[in-house]
Amino acid sequence: MTTTLITSTEPSRPGRQGGARRPDARPNVALRDALSIAGVWLLLSVPTTIVRPDFLSTQTLLAITFTMSISGVLAVAQALVVISGGLLDLSLPVALVLSAWAAVAALTSGLPTWAAVILGILAGAAWGSLNGLIVVFGKLNPIIVTLATGFGGLAVMLIFFKSAQIPSTSDLRLFGLGRFLGLPNVFWPMVALIVLTGLALTYTRWGRHLVAVGGNPRAARARGISLRRTRFFVFLGAGAIAGAAGVLFSAVNPSFTPASGAGFQLIVIAAVILAGISLSGGKGNLLVLLLSVGFLATIPASIAFFGLAPAWALVFQGALLILAVGIDGYRLKRSAR
Amino acid sequence: MKPFHHAKRAAIGIASFAAAGVLLAGCSTVGAAAPAESDDDTFTVGFAVGGQPDADWQELQGDVAAGLAEQRGWDFVELSNDNSEATATKNADVFIQKGVDVVMMFNGQPSANPVIAKKYAEADIPVITFDIAQEGWYFVGVDNAAAGTDGGTKLGELADEKWDCKVDLVISAEGTSAGQINEWRTGNARDAVKSACPDIPEDAYVSYEADGNLTTSLANAPGVFAAHPDAKNILVVGINDQAVVGALQAATQLGRDGSIMGWGQDGGLITGDNVDPNLVGSVMYFLEGYPAFAYQIADEIAAGNAPEVKDTGDDAAVSVTPCPVTKDEAAAIPSIDDRVAQLADAPEGTTEYDLFCTT
Amino acid sequence: MTAATLLDERTPTRRRRALDALKGPVGSIGFMLVATIIVGLVWVGPAFLAPSNIQIVGVSVAVPLIVAIMASFALLAGVVDLSIGSMVGFGAVIFNQLVAAGMDPWIVAGITIVVGVVVGLTNALVIVKFGAEPLAVTLGMLTVLRGLSQVIVVNAPPSTLIDPLYNVTQGAVAGIPVLLLIGIGVTLVAAGIVSKTRVGRNVQAVGGDARAAARAGISVTRVRVVALVVSAVGAAIGGILYVGQLGSASNVLGTGLEFQIYAALMIGGYSITRGGVGNPIGGLLGLLVVAGITNILNIQFFDPDYLDLIVAVILLAAVLVDRFRGGDVFE
Repeated sequence: MTTTLITSTEPSRPGRQGGARRPDARPNVALRDALSIAGVWLLLSVPTTIVRPDFLSTQTLLAITFTMSISGVLAVAQALVVISGGLLDLSLPVALVLSAWAAVAALTSGLPTWAAVILGILAGAAWGSLNGLIVVFGKLNPIIVTLATGFGGLAVMLIFFKSAQIPSTSDLRLFGLGRFLGLPNVFWPMVALIVLTGLALTYTRWGRHLVAVGGNPRAARARGISLRRTRFFVFLGAGAIAGAAGVLFSAVNPSFTPASGAGFQLIVIAAVILAGISLSGGKGNLLVLLLSVGFLATIPASIAFFGLAPAWALVFQGALLILAVGIDGYRLKRSAR
Repeated sequence: MKPFHHAKRAAIGIASFAAAGVLLAGCSTVGAAAPAESDDDTFTVGFAVGGQPDADWQELQGDVAAGLAEQRGWDFVELSNDNSEATATKNADVFIQKGVDVVMMFNGQPSANPVIAKKYAEADIPVITFDIAQEGWYFVGVDNAAAGTDGGTKLGELADEKWDCKVDLVISAEGTSAGQINEWRTGNARDAVKSACPDIPEDAYVSYEADGNLTTSLANAPGVFAAHPDAKNILVVGINDQAVVGALQAATQLGRDGSIMGWGQDGGLITGDNVDPNLVGSVMYFLEGYPAFAYQIADEIAAGNAPEVKDTGDDAAVSVTPCPVTKDEAAAIPSIDDRVAQLADAPEGTTEYDLFCTT
Repeated sequence: MTAATLLDERTPTRRRRALDALKGPVGSIGFMLVATIIVGLVWVGPAFLAPSNIQIVGVSVAVPLIVAIMASFALLAGVVDLSIGSMVGFGAVIFNQLVAAGMDPWIVAGITIVVGVVVGLTNALVIVKFGAEPLAVTLGMLTVLRGLSQVIVVNAPPSTLIDPLYNVTQGAVAGIPVLLLIGIGVTLVAAGIVSKTRVGRNVQAVGGDARAAARAGISVTRVRVVALVVSAVGAAIGGILYVGQLGSASNVLGTGLEFQIYAALMIGGYSITRGGVGNPIGGLLGLLVVAGITNILNIQFFDPDYLDLIVAVILLAAVLVDRFRGGDVFE
């Protein structure tokens, strides 16, 4: 039995997994994670409010909800991959821009908005299935596969286009500029997606298979779940969701380039980890993910209120990630004794 | 017994290795082998494009330059600096080995320029640099300081005209990795706004990192707007159009675009069909057309009459005249791809400024 | 058993060992390197192996090589350190800024290395002591260090050309870059440690099966902590060497370096998903293959994007081959 470098240094314990498991089979875990995030969120917001009372305003709310819209959708895609035991998908920035490009290309050539949206999502799904095929048929580790496809995909995109602009008169663009119930339009699809996907994980057969495969692949296979089919569809689904993110991305970024997705990579992985979704797979609560995405989106706003250089946001986000996994690991170690 | 042998062997190994290292350090010589002669006597141009992922004009610079070389029957080789100072330095070695006769480059990470200059100087290859000055290199570029002042002045005048200079917030969308150029474009713009509207309070001037591209600018700007919730009349200056438009978009998302005006730099987003409604103007440099100016120098070098090296922004070998344009004026200017095509068809020696700056 | 029999048994073992090495990952990456050189000679011509070209390849691969070999111990020990790229950048920034401020370069080098130790110990504390997931922790550290570099370097970074250091990092002895020779030296020492010393065997044991290693009395904690510190210190040294080579340090230096290094190491036989496999010689060859291909595309003036595509394909091919050879199978 080889030690895996990626996951916790404690090997997973077969006895605790197996059987029909819901992603938050121990609901108090999800609650505890949610409370920790809420706690740290308070720890951030209270000092900021003390220093600048106008931190608690609609403007801040708008800023935060806007910032979390696209990273939230991407985080859902990443979460699906992680929960299913696929470790990590490092090629999401490519899926994002590829889908955005597809949507913009469709609009520029005169197709209606709904067609552009579908094409964008399909482009993402196609990208996801490329990853899925290589992982399933090559039986290769997804981290390495998506590392390679991320590199390669970016290179191919750079060969084919330098920049893309969404037509400013298109409905999709106008959607990206509008608001609903006081919050940016693009925020709501993100929330809907998180809620729906979270429900799907718990209550649909596909979702339960996904979680089972992530928790204990051998037991899942013994129960008759096809690992290959599940894994392939996880990557396809994650790609499609990233495709949706790409469509939203094109709606709010009037001009973008192949490398524009790079900034999302770290923040999305951090959000997934902070939400208590273990990289060894098998568990994860998407509502907690919503909280962690929101929390991470608050940091840049807070930094701006303090008047610090935006680079500090990176420092804090990174430090928080280290702290969070440290605490998580410590807790795991203690309960393992 | 065995572990002791192993340890002793290891110790001897490490000690001799360290000794060798010291010897090497002492005896090493710098300087590549003699630069290769060009395979034939054709004049060869080595072009290093910037490779910054968010600037489409950089690759187009390479295309324009390739076309100009073909016009003259010269050889042309191109590399990308990949926005990395390590790659830029390696590219210098490759060009020197190739034996090019002149180098033209845009290096977006100029921190390694002194080392690169050392290499080219030793190889006796003249260098023409775009927009980023380096001692000993022909400087072809916009007077960025003047461009910054131009933009700020025009914006300040508009603020005076429309709002009677009652400005609540002046946002500066920066790209600090560009160093001095960032200082000139944004700093001078701020100063010019200050001269046009002296009553704007000092703390109304806020800078943030936009990294010169729209996506990062859009990601970092909302926080700035949220942190100044009461600002109504807002001005935006920045290192380039991408940075400024990112801020304008953030304002729109937060509902702060009721009374906002941005003036860009480099004209990247002021032409075409999708100009941001609040981008009231920009300063065109026609960056993609820079090679036309560089070839003026290259022609003289090829003829054996290398001109005197003028290497600073103030005393440039070729000073590209900036072309400030309002949004309406920019409507008459074709998009970047069309501009490149028209330049290719134009007679030798024409520059984009000649073709497109009508103001 | 007589002395004669012992001697007899030794010789065939050595020959067999050599054959095994050729068939294993080191062998296949060796073949790939030979193939690359042949392609280079055919496509580019004899100029491919000219001293000036060896210089170009050597100078550009040397620093990543040193950083990679130092980081390879962590891979062997079963922990992947993703923060090495940002650590290189951060180390370079510190070194550059302090030397430009007038401090003595040797003292600044010491400070930079101490910073590396601190970073390594921090990683180690959270990963080993608290049992957190190495990927997540080092990802967080990557972000922190990149942010700090951007906080420190706001405007144009100062230029620090230290002549002796420049001579070492850009210079050559008998046509071969000094830094490359140092890098190869480091590789040989590392290879020796890994295959011939007990320390090396312990590291491999810990990476291969931590539980069994612990049962055998090896301190898993100590091995992992040291590996992570070595990794960070290696990156710090890489940063110093970069400043020597390039004369300065921007705030984007080292971005993406960790992925380039790990891709090359994986091509060379290491794995970022399981410990206990890999040999520094393989790592060296992997880096040389990537550098060689890069060089061919450079001196033929090809679009660099094709290079990334080629490396991606080779990486996939390499892990596929590794899988067929009985490596990690992902179900």
